[in-house]
Amino acid sequence: MAKSEDCIHILQGLLVFGNVVIGMCGIALTAECIYFVSDPHGLYPLLEATENNDIYAAAWIGIFVGFALFALSILGIIGIIKSDRTLLLVYIILMLITFAFEMASCITAATHRDFLTPNIFLKQMLERYQKADPANNNDKWMTEGVTKTWDKLMVQNHCCGVLGPSDWQEYTSAFRLTHNDADFPWPRKCCALDAQGVPVNLDGCKLGVPGYYNSNGCYDAISGPVNTHAWGVAWFGFAILCWTFCVLLGTMFYWSGIEY
Amino acid sequence: LSYVPRVPPMALLGKVTATTFALERPCCIFDRHANASDTVWLVVAFANASTTFRNPPCRADVPPYKQLPATHSYMTLETAAAAYACPAPSPAVLRVGGDTACKDQGRQDPCNGPLPSPGPYRVKFLLMGCHGPKAETRWSDPILLRRALSPSTIDAVPPCCGSDVVVIASLLASLGTVLATAVLGTLGAKVWGSLCQRDLGTSAFARRSYRTHHISPVLPQPLPPGCQYSPPGMGCFALRPPAPC
Repeated sequence: MAKSEDCIHILQGLLVFGNVVIGMCGIALTAECIYFVSDPHGLYPLLEATENNDIYAAAWIGIFVGFALFALSILGIIGIIKSDRTLLLVYIILMLITFAFEMASCITAATHRDFLTPNIFLKQMLERYQKADPANNNDKWMTEGVTKTWDKLMVQNHCCGVLGPSDWQEYTSAFRLTHNDADFPWPRKCCALDAQGVPVNLDGCKLGVPGYYNSNGCYDAISGPVNTHAWGVAWFGFAILCWTFCVLLGTMFYWSGIEY
Repeated sequence: LSYVPRVPPMALLGKVTATTFALERPCCIFDRHANASDTVWLVVAFANASTTFRNPPCRADVPPYKQLPATHSYMTLETAAAAYACPAPSPAVLRVGGDTACKDQGRQDPCNGPLPSPGPYRVKFLLMGCHGPKAETRWSDPILLRRALSPSTIDAVPPCCGSDVVVIASLLASLGTVLATAVLGTLGAKVWGSLCQRDLGTSAFARRSYRTHHISPVLPQPLPPGCQYSPPGMGCFALRPPAPC
């Protein structure tokens, strides 16, 4: 019996270790998702206006799943050490539910990241930036959000438009309706600004003289954080789920062998 | 004069927009012909009207900006000839169409207003003295302004099924299915086993004992009410007919 006792202890030890890792990963997932939800780069209004902000929903689910994983891992450790069938059954069922939620979160984050192409931001920028007469309160809210976010983006990252300032020339826009082309080939925020926010050389900016305007597009400044967000939620969640899968299989095997 | 006006070749993003364009500054061109009092005008005409343009005989006949739709040409950017003298002053380009204020006020001064349509334009410089035109450059090549598209032409439909999504979704789905099957299978097996089992001793499943404990021999305890026909040590089975195996 000594050998099977050893095997049992090894299995218990492995399962406890597995649950400890799940608990720590749960806390890490919660922390990571709280960081993303807090929107440090201020890009949420752009995503809200595309009506495609499901990567935020995925992050919210991630917060709660992380807590659940932590709590369930403690339950699992207690259940394994006490070899209690009921506790372990509860653990397995709740873990399955958490697994399903985390699956949903990962797949949502991965899928909706693919929606966020340059064209969708370009279209939204052209249709909403400095739009003069919003249709209703919701529209007004979204327009203000988009305008403020773009202004902040263009000034902080020294960029203009999605692919470049020529976006404002190639397409008509809500901005073009209120600002004529001769004075504003592109918004003033695209000009090189001094400390007070006044263009350094307005004529140079209007002509497109290198050095007096921002010639890069802002897409990199947008897609970088959004990608980090989406892949952080999706791939980290996927890794946790793979590990949880193994631990759950081991726990079910352990559970099926416990005597009444 | 053999000079041909042209859009500056250097890389300026705003050299041609929807209502304005830039021209290279014609330095040193008029020095031989100009007096101090002469002025250089820019003639802007639609490309198809450039051949029918006649130089105005005096300053009073200069076609103003407002007449562009009617006469298909106008003259603007009246500057002293000294501004185009040889030691070139700093702005190396001229911007045609950059003055939005004069369009509305309707002043009669030469107005450098924005161009109303993208249709190809041709320009030439005209040196005017007190008694009329003294020299002119050649017509430029046709300059076509930008035409902007509507944003509804942008195709914002996302492409389907990036490889990452397929990998994550398929692996997760398979893991989830395996787990669900395993749980259902284990639970089902346990339930089935407990239904089939009636006696101590041989059972259909290999059981591993995880707890060794010493069972002291005890007399059979009186069973709690409601428990009948239960062998000792097997817990309490409520009275019910045996289920088929």
